[in-house]
Amino acid sequence: MVNGDSGSQQLLETLRSIDTQTVVTMFLILAAAYVLGRVITALISKLSEKMSRKDRIKVKMIIPAVKFGIYVLAFYYILREIFNIFGPELLLLTGLLGAAIGFGVKDLFADIIGGLVITFEKPYQIGDKISIGAYYGEVTDIGLRATKLVTPDDNTVTAPNSLIFNETVASGNYGASEMMVVIDLYIASESNVETAMRILREAVVSSKYVYISGSTPVTLLHKALPFYTRLRAKAYVNDLRDEFKFESDVHTRAWIEFLKNGIRAPQLHILNLPPVRENHESDAPTRRNLRSSKGTRKDSDFNIDFSKDSGL
Amino acid sequence: MGTQHSDSGDYSFGEILGLREEIREIQASIADYETGKKLNIAIIAGTLAGKTTLLGEIERINQNRATGITFSEIVRDRKEISIPDDTKRVVLFDNCHYLYMRKPGGFDIFYEFLYMISSQEKLFIATWNLYSWRYLSEAFGIERYFPVQIFIPAFEKENLRLFILKRYGKAEIRFENDEEPKKEPFIYIEKYPLELSSLGRKIFVPVLKINLSYLRHRFLHEEETQTAEEMVFEKIYLESKGNPGIAWRIWELGLDYPGIKHEDIGQFSFDIDLEYEEAFVLSLILSYQALKKTEIAELIGSEFRADEILFRLLTGELIFKDEGASYRIRPEALQSVIAYMEKLRLVW
Repeated sequence: MVNGDSGSQQLLETLRSIDTQTVVTMFLILAAAYVLGRVITALISKLSEKMSRKDRIKVKMIIPAVKFGIYVLAFYYILREIFNIFGPELLLLTGLLGAAIGFGVKDLFADIIGGLVITFEKPYQIGDKISIGAYYGEVTDIGLRATKLVTPDDNTVTAPNSLIFNETVASGNYGASEMMVVIDLYIASESNVETAMRILREAVVSSKYVYISGSTPVTLLHKALPFYTRLRAKAYVNDLRDEFKFESDVHTRAWIEFLKNGIRAPQLHILNLPPVRENHESDAPTRRNLRSSKGTRKDSDFNIDFSKDSGL
Repeated sequence: MGTQHSDSGDYSFGEILGLREEIREIQASIADYETGKKLNIAIIAGTLAGKTTLLGEIERINQNRATGITFSEIVRDRKEISIPDDTKRVVLFDNCHYLYMRKPGGFDIFYEFLYMISSQEKLFIATWNLYSWRYLSEAFGIERYFPVQIFIPAFEKENLRLFILKRYGKAEIRFENDEEPKKEPFIYIEKYPLELSSLGRKIFVPVLKINLSYLRHRFLHEEETQTAEEMVFEKIYLESKGNPGIAWRIWELGLDYPGIKHEDIGQFSFDIDLEYEEAFVLSLILSYQALKKTEIAELIGSEFRADEILFRLLTGELIFKDEGASYRIRPEALQSVIAYMEKLRLVW
């Protein structure tokens, strides 16, 4: 047993015996681990971006494991130094460390454990599109303490790894480069649904962003609602980074074809508002006259354009 | 001189193609049809792989009972797929990948074609580009309409040699260095062409090759030699991966008529780096085999972009404009283009 007073004495003496060289060595080990981690991460990321879409995420998957490997090695060398210095006094130091963790750095400790869980259990990986907490985006880095994700608006969100214990994480692709995108189009109830479904299907399967295979099929759903009809396409985007481009591409091309086939968007008259007039070529001179007679106010231009858009 | 074309006359055309098995299978299906079992046949192959030649051979063999129809550009008029009353019992359609446009509203002719081949009594044999076929298979399940599917395999080296040399007269081509046969070293390094779809390009891997036949002959006190002709066709075979169209192009590029040296046979690797839309247009050209500018503009919805993209692809020497004003992939760039398309998963 270590006596309280003599133990403190021994610990103080041991602490005094730590020379600058040892502290510098420990600091250098940590710095080297950090730099090595960054360099390897950058190299693997660069390599993965040159790979095929399928292999990109697979290659990035190894980044967290490599980083943790480096840090584990670094801590091993640091602990070895500590053992050499303290020997049996380590027990006392452990007590102090435990108190520090308990009061001060418990969150940091939880984040590190969370990082370990993420690395080995893989609820998500670098390159995945995930929803965590209130955020959605592509995971760009899984660090010791936090996960970084880039949202569709290009905000970088740093989420502490300990969130994994409290929050539900949803991964849109879970390690694959393709990802399901759900595209909803709303049309007027009186439109020909069969034609609309055919057009939507063709818009999806002909998109440059689509990826179709036995395991990634295209599914079309139709739901008649009281005031409008919802058409839903579930299809896989070739590269999850093109999620929104895919959705926009399908919307644009489907609506161009809808209009050619007389399929219209739900009209406002369902709310007892007058229906929006269709934008015929013959109306154009009238609109131009209207614009010139009412002066050049920006808001009147906006109203005209708005009615045109709502015709969609 | 080597063994050039001295024996090509002894082979039937089917044997020269190296497609004897495929022809036999198609003939067996035609025979089944005559006894009341109708199974439509799809002949599927990549660009320049020989599907039109195979269909031509089938038409020649069955000239009394087959009618051939060829599509040479995207079909827009329903009349083009309608079959006259005097059409024979077996109908051969070449280049069926021209029956659809990859855009909303662009599949009406294709649906009608599928309806026709499934509702009529005649037997239909159709050729499809490999990448169009895979796309239509995943998107529309086209394979259900063609229970017999013939995928044209890569040619054997000997078949490639016969395919090329049958176009020349006896002893017309001079394989240089053939007078002094080159003695093979015991160990040598060969650049082996390898398409890496992960990297999207073709690379040349130096492979250490041990000349086993030379060793064997040396132990038997015989001198092992490889003629210049053999070296030429070995290189063409490795570069073309057994695709006759690519092989012919490489041959043409290396030929200094009437002589050819194996050192002049080129090895082609294109480092392709394109924007996504450019790559998509390239994938369309690969899937259709040949597209006009107006068709490309219609498919991507912008004439201005079509101009811009085609200019970029032309200056990158990935495509060329043929005499019919259609854009095609350069045969020598084909393997690199396929590897790049597979990397981007724009072809499946």
